[in-house]
Amino acid sequence: MRGRPNLYTDYSRESAIFSNNTQKVWFIVVIISAIIFCFLATDYWLLLLTTAFLIAVASWGLNIVSGFAGQINLAHGFFVGIGTYTSAIIGGIATSSVIGYELDMIIWLPLSGIAASIVGLMIAPITVRLKGLNLGLVTLALVFIGSHLFSNFKSVTGGAGLGRKVAKLKLFGVDLESGIQIGTYFLDKNEILYLICLTLCIFTGLGVKNLVRTRAGRAYSAIRDGDIAAEAIGINIFRYKSSAFALSSFFGGISGAMFFTVSGGVEPGTFNLLYSIIFVAIVVIGGAGTVLGPLFGAFFYTLFPAFILIAIKALEISEQSLPLNLGQIERILFGLFIILFLIFEPRGLWGIWFRLRNYFKAWPFSY
Amino acid sequence: MNSLNFNDVTLKFGGITALNNVSFEVKPKSLYAIIGPNGAGKTSIFNCVSGIYRPTQGSVTYGDNDIKELRPDQVAELGIARTFQNIELFENMTVLDNILIGAHRHLEYGAISSLFFSKKARKSELEAREIAEEIIDFLEIEQFRYSYILSLPYGVQKRVEIGRALALNPDVLLLDEPAAGMNNEETEDIARFIIDIHEEMGKTVILVDHDMNMVMDIAEEVMVLNFGEKLAEGTPAEIVKDSKVIEAYLGVS
Repeated sequence: MRGRPNLYTDYSRESAIFSNNTQKVWFIVVIISAIIFCFLATDYWLLLLTTAFLIAVASWGLNIVSGFAGQINLAHGFFVGIGTYTSAIIGGIATSSVIGYELDMIIWLPLSGIAASIVGLMIAPITVRLKGLNLGLVTLALVFIGSHLFSNFKSVTGGAGLGRKVAKLKLFGVDLESGIQIGTYFLDKNEILYLICLTLCIFTGLGVKNLVRTRAGRAYSAIRDGDIAAEAIGINIFRYKSSAFALSSFFGGISGAMFFTVSGGVEPGTFNLLYSIIFVAIVVIGGAGTVLGPLFGAFFYTLFPAFILIAIKALEISEQSLPLNLGQIERILFGLFIILFLIFEPRGLWGIWFRLRNYFKAWPFSY
Repeated sequence: MNSLNFNDVTLKFGGITALNNVSFEVKPKSLYAIIGPNGAGKTSIFNCVSGIYRPTQGSVTYGDNDIKELRPDQVAELGIARTFQNIELFENMTVLDNILIGAHRHLEYGAISSLFFSKKARKSELEAREIAEEIIDFLEIEQFRYSYILSLPYGVQKRVEIGRALALNPDVLLLDEPAAGMNNEETEDIARFIIDIHEEMGKTVILVDHDMNMVMDIAEEVMVLNFGEKLAEGTPAEIVKDSKVIEAYLGVS
């Protein structure tokens, strides 16, 4: 085999996660540098990347239902919310106004995902029967029902405008809030969160890759490309559409639970329509229906504001002299990017990466 | 293997009668052809068999199973596979993936096993790949294995669709105009594949096509439809001589 890394001699090697050594090496390099980054970076960058990991997890979820199974879902934020409040109830601290049981993270993290996927399954009878724009509208309704519930269910969410504290960071009985001492090194809260989220992100990514190369993933794509043909070759549409919603919500729920644990508190108004739409935008910008796309999209979305800030500092423009404030500029540019991607690169950031990779594979020849 | 029966099937869409009291029997391991002018109801018959349409009256049975009660995916589980008149392949996937999807019903593991790529998943994936490779080999589409459907010429797409249906390892194969839009050479290839599928793999084949030369050449039994009604049924030799068929479809020379 040496010297011919691209010559496959059996089927199992060809369908492996990393079908050649280059991919394997890159994967390891990226993970090691991500771990090293944890100990070098400032808290600002750590927090930024932690959120990027979590947004990637949620976007991977949405990508399963929208990218692979091809079902429009404008209510992903709602499922993220379900996960968040499940974790808040199970892992949060009870006060006079909200309930909480202060249980371990090993309990609330999976349960927040499971609760979200159960809600996903509950609405399956409706979502499975609809497609296209009609499905979009139903999920839109779900966002509004969700935000109404969240703002009025005061014993769980704390009520609109007030919010509540979310789950406590306690793993296997060890309180991680104030950091832990490992040998001579002291891991503070931000570093712990970063490592937990990095792990989540890696496992979700591998899971999605596994999904794509096996039976369920192929069934999802078949439903996207032609549901009548998919049914005619024996794919149970009801089962696979609902399992796509359930899986997607599972990742959304887990991501939500961690996300607000990182930020400390959550206000029910967060889970509005815009919040859900952003996930759709991330998937489109990253590249819908690809494995790496949502990861790229999530990093783009979270790091984009930081780079604008750097650019403004580098150009020595004072914030007061700008006609719009930073938030507005971010949103306008982000919107602009969505339009540009839809027109020039429908495959999103993944498409750009794909072309770059192929260019350098053949370098210095042009094809 | 079971025989497929149509018992007085009537199919109506509002005021339009697509099929009117059609009855026929396809015996196991036979090669049955359905011909007729455009709009005669040939594809409607296929849609009734594969559970996409529900007959208004009458019944469709396969062995002891009443197909009227089943969803399309349950019909496929019984071992009835089909192709479509206007190719319905999964366009954003490769030829190999399309054929692997056909093997869906032979893989027995769920979404959770998929996520973790469990041992069971690994084993059945490899088995499915073996099946897929045999079919690719049989249909002579090796060089297109990794091509996306969108980029393939029409004739190859037609073949891939047959391959996808074969991957189900069905007992009954419904082919809806497999030779439509093909030149003579491609039609000959397709005819050869159909004969091989019928004789070597021992499958029941039901064929709809307009290419009279091919149909009369390979079919064992032919049914002629006109405006949703059965006009004649018999061996190709009988059909060619039938005066009603000549008037309605073949034309007088």
